[in-house]
Amino acid sequence: MIARPTHILAGALFILVLGVITLASLTGIKEDRLAGQTKIIDVVVAGLGLTDLCISTEARYTRHPAVSDPVVPFMDYPGSYEHFPTGSFWAPIIYFE
Amino acid sequence: MSFEKHLNILDYALQTFWRRKLKNVSVIIVFAAVIFLVASFQLTTSSLVKSARKSLARAPEIVVQKMSAGRQESIPLAYNKKMGAIFGIQIIVPRVWGYYFDEINGANYTVIGINPALMPMGRELDIVFEEGGHFPKPGEAALGSGILQSLALEGRQVFSMYRPDLTLKTFRIGGIFDSVTDFLTSDTLITTLEDGRDLFGLDEEKVTDFCVYVRNPNEIETIAKKISTALPDTRVVTRPQIEKTYKMVFSWRSGFASVCILTALTAFIIFAWDKASGLSPEERREIAILKILGWQTADILLMRFWEGLLVSILAFIAGYLGAFIHVVFFSAGFFRPVLVGWSVLIPDLTLVPDVTLSDMLLVLSFSVLPYLAATVIPAWRSSIISPDAAMH
Repeated sequence: MIARPTHILAGALFILVLGVITLASLTGIKEDRLAGQTKIIDVVVAGLGLTDLCISTEARYTRHPAVSDPVVPFMDYPGSYEHFPTGSFWAPIIYFE
Repeated sequence: MSFEKHLNILDYALQTFWRRKLKNVSVIIVFAAVIFLVASFQLTTSSLVKSARKSLARAPEIVVQKMSAGRQESIPLAYNKKMGAIFGIQIIVPRVWGYYFDEINGANYTVIGINPALMPMGRELDIVFEEGGHFPKPGEAALGSGILQSLALEGRQVFSMYRPDLTLKTFRIGGIFDSVTDFLTSDTLITTLEDGRDLFGLDEEKVTDFCVYVRNPNEIETIAKKISTALPDTRVVTRPQIEKTYKMVFSWRSGFASVCILTALTAFIIFAWDKASGLSPEERREIAILKILGWQTADILLMRFWEGLLVSILAFIAGYLGAFIHVVFFSAGFFRPVLVGWSVLIPDLTLVPDVTLSDMLLVLSFSVLPYLAATVIPAWRSSIISPDAAMH
């Protein structure tokens, strides 16, 4: 007997839901592992006065964007361009009071 | 319309989808690739923002830097006394920190010299190092895993760095940061305040900045304003500003985000234009045959709607799931070259995004909805023509 197309669709949806649940579980395990490291992270940030994540180490303003000015990318010489590749990924930081 | 009738129309839509499987699968693959690009960016930035929000909650309450001609320069220790007069400040901690460029391998290190006894949780710092490690004593340094790899010490415990006058300063390794802190300390070298000053050749009366801690966290902004007034040549950064930084830095205003969005919009416009420009002769003939067989216009529209929905939803699911797997299990590998640029030290990142309904609906709204509209409208135009006119 040939299965009805909607039954095949229902089966595919069921497998998809199982897949999503599996992914969510694996992600949850990762998140739990990270949550268990909170104390070390808190101590290293507070104890050393860290202000930024270490994502890019190529330029001052992408290594420490929280304590840099918007002018820093252009400070090399008058009229200089912002020339680091990561500058295209990071948006400029402008604080308004 | 009864539920059974809906199922029958859905059956027919699925069979039609399968009859043109090559074309439909091609559309799904391209559609999914565009959604993958946008969703990957969204999930990557949301996980970095989440990581920053959770880990930087203990950042210094106020950081005070001296500015001259728009650039940061060393701040006199005497400013400590001027700030000390402000009511509400609990402690002011001087720091010496900066960047060291290793010419041998082209890596930049962040070097921090502090007195941990003055810092919050400073006395607990020994737990952040791998077994046997401790906060450095005079003449020692603690290294991030990226620096350890970069120096290639091959088991040696001593290394040297250049002072500004090109004399060598030697350090003994006091500890290596635990790998769980890589996303914060991979490129970081910690030493005592005096050793940091010696390495950078800084005057005895100067430091790089001050970390200021207040008695009442609700008064951070007030005290920051008072510091700005008392020391007008300084830049004062508060913890709320530090927390806001990463939301702003990873927003849709960045150049790379604009590229992702514009690419996706262009692709969807091309899809929609192609669909809306009319049906193929085969599709028109199919609709005409259905009308002759007694299908109503509403039934035909429903069938085309289901077909369009199936294609767009499958593409959305494939694209979004692919993006999730890419970000969580492959640490956004496609974006890493843009995220790190010319960096020589590349820390390991563990990305776990917050998947919110609003983010998914955003992607859904500019992918699925225009495609559905572009599918249903030409089907309606064909279905209102008489069958024999459509056949010819």
